[in-house]
Amino acid sequence: MSELTLIIIRIGFLALLWLFVFIVLYSLRSDLFGPKLTPLQRVAVQSQRTRAEAAAQAAPAAAGGDAPTTVTERASAGSASGLARRIVITSGPRTGTEIELPETGLTIGRSSSAGLQIKDDYTSNSHAKIVRWRDEWVVQDLDSTNGTFVEGKRITQSTPVRVGSSVRIGTTTFELRR
Amino acid sequence: MTDRTAPTALQTGIVQLRDVTEAIKVRIRNPAKLRNLELFLLVIAWVLAGGAMVLVQLGALQRVDMMPLQLAGLLGLLTLALHIALRVVAREADAIILPVVTVLNGLGIAMIYRIDIAEGATGWDAASMRQIAWTGIALLIAIATIVVIRNHRVLARYRFLAMAAAIILLVLPLVPGLGRTINGATVWIGLGSVLSLQPGELAKIALAIFFAGYLMTARDSLSVVGRKVLGIRFPRVRDLGPILIVWAMCLLVLVFQRDLGTSLLYFGLFLVMIYVATGRRSWMVIGLGLVALGGIAAYFALGYVQRRIGAWIHAFDPSVYDAQGGSYQIVQGVFGMAHGGLLGTGLGLGRPDITPYANSDYIIPSLGEELGLVGIFAILGLYLILVSRGIRIGFQGPDDFTKLLAVGLAFTIGLQVFIVVGGVTRLIPLTGLTTPFLAAGGSSLLANWLIVALLLRLSDSVRGRGIA
Repeated sequence: MSELTLIIIRIGFLALLWLFVFIVLYSLRSDLFGPKLTPLQRVAVQSQRTRAEAAAQAAPAAAGGDAPTTVTERASAGSASGLARRIVITSGPRTGTEIELPETGLTIGRSSSAGLQIKDDYTSNSHAKIVRWRDEWVVQDLDSTNGTFVEGKRITQSTPVRVGSSVRIGTTTFELRR
Repeated sequence: MTDRTAPTALQTGIVQLRDVTEAIKVRIRNPAKLRNLELFLLVIAWVLAGGAMVLVQLGALQRVDMMPLQLAGLLGLLTLALHIALRVVAREADAIILPVVTVLNGLGIAMIYRIDIAEGATGWDAASMRQIAWTGIALLIAIATIVVIRNHRVLARYRFLAMAAAIILLVLPLVPGLGRTINGATVWIGLGSVLSLQPGELAKIALAIFFAGYLMTARDSLSVVGRKVLGIRFPRVRDLGPILIVWAMCLLVLVFQRDLGTSLLYFGLFLVMIYVATGRRSWMVIGLGLVALGGIAAYFALGYVQRRIGAWIHAFDPSVYDAQGGSYQIVQGVFGMAHGGLLGTGLGLGRPDITPYANSDYIIPSLGEELGLVGIFAILGLYLILVSRGIRIGFQGPDDFTKLLAVGLAFTIGLQVFIVVGGVTRLIPLTGLTTPFLAAGGSSLLANWLIVALLLRLSDSVRGRGIA
């Protein structure tokens, strides 16, 4: 084998090594840079971010790119809106976690069999349950020690939860979102 | 999704935007896609590993010898078996880790094989044969781990068992008759006359499991209570207990086993895990303070630490260079890498075997000489990807134990690479640690493949959040 071929193979090997690195990085692109967005989607994401920032006040502002508007969440989120499909934890140890809300409802508690597991000293093993009742989600307190709070009020009976209203269990607060 | 009752135009506008945001949040919940990506990357990894071996033969022997290639092919089949096992029992596991590790392991075997050729070692005397055998064993154990441990959270239950195991593994080399002292460090145990193992390598996994389990329960008392001094909240004295025990244990390793690298690794592991668990900078302050304290004490009390630091700072001083246990090795490694330059001498064409321990402690300079700066950076890039995947798994982990364990395991690999590469490039004093997956050594391979198996298992529990 001539020296030149060997040099070419050598360089080719290094090139392949780097190609491998770049293929890996390329397949990780959505992890590194977030998913690729079209301009319209970018506007949407921005508006979502604005909403998330204001979520604590439960009156977020939705800012569309070329037509900025401000609407209180509650106005749109009442009985008028569609059914919530997921839960977003807004405070507590697992802030930012998103969980799909299954059709069959969701149990919340400290036990590992709970659909949403909240581990703190204020949460009972089987603390509360979110179930669907007709066209809305209803939260039931399952005789928990420290109670379940909807919009800051401790609930004593099944209470409907609207999209965007906060539910607090122990140190964790979450919201229903569509 | 349509909003049936949206009353005003403004609101419908918002609803449409929301529809779009829903649309982008496409969760990649397609496990088959992940596994196919893994297979694709694995094929490239095989080509790279096999290619490295062929290049070594072309460079050093000027011919292609099929025997080692066939053995390497068997290892390829085992990685394929691991891939298939993942398809069955951990469908949503990370797709990047296995191919990256396969490339690293393959490059390591090729380089060890290259040193064997230079030294004329054959059969079981050849480190490459042993490395291939150990890789096979490690892969089988990794497959078994993935298949047997379906839910890693059970490991949290055995945290104190893990601690006991770690301590026993650490102390084992000090047991008379069992321990072996090689090059001054008593970190080996000998079984019979051929087999020597480094139990400390396995101890790091047991320690990571213990730390993750312990911190999972103790994080609250560690992060919330305490007195504030100079704006940093310091923990209570009784909460300091475990960290002091671990620190003392590392110092014992340092003093009695004379192994600087391992004690640094264990302590770094604990420090990072406690920092991740509590998010408090005071732990870093305390930990680095303890490292400085231990380091200074070790410098004045232990002769070998002094020699190491002397060889690091005055490496090119002729008296240090010629001294027994001086800087000869460090300097040869640096010369080797300089000889390699940007593109390297080519596999099989350099003279990495001049450096002592060119196939274990000094495998990075060996690779640096023959693959050049370009090759070394690719290898470091692979390590970076590997560690970042592990930390990513920790970031997304569904519970505290998963998070802490993933971060801890990934960090051990990262810290080990830093200590080794920093040592051979004279950034920090040289310490004897193995380069994960590259260096010759069965215990290290076993431990690191176990880490891979655990990381894959942990990543599978991050449901529906795999990469695109």
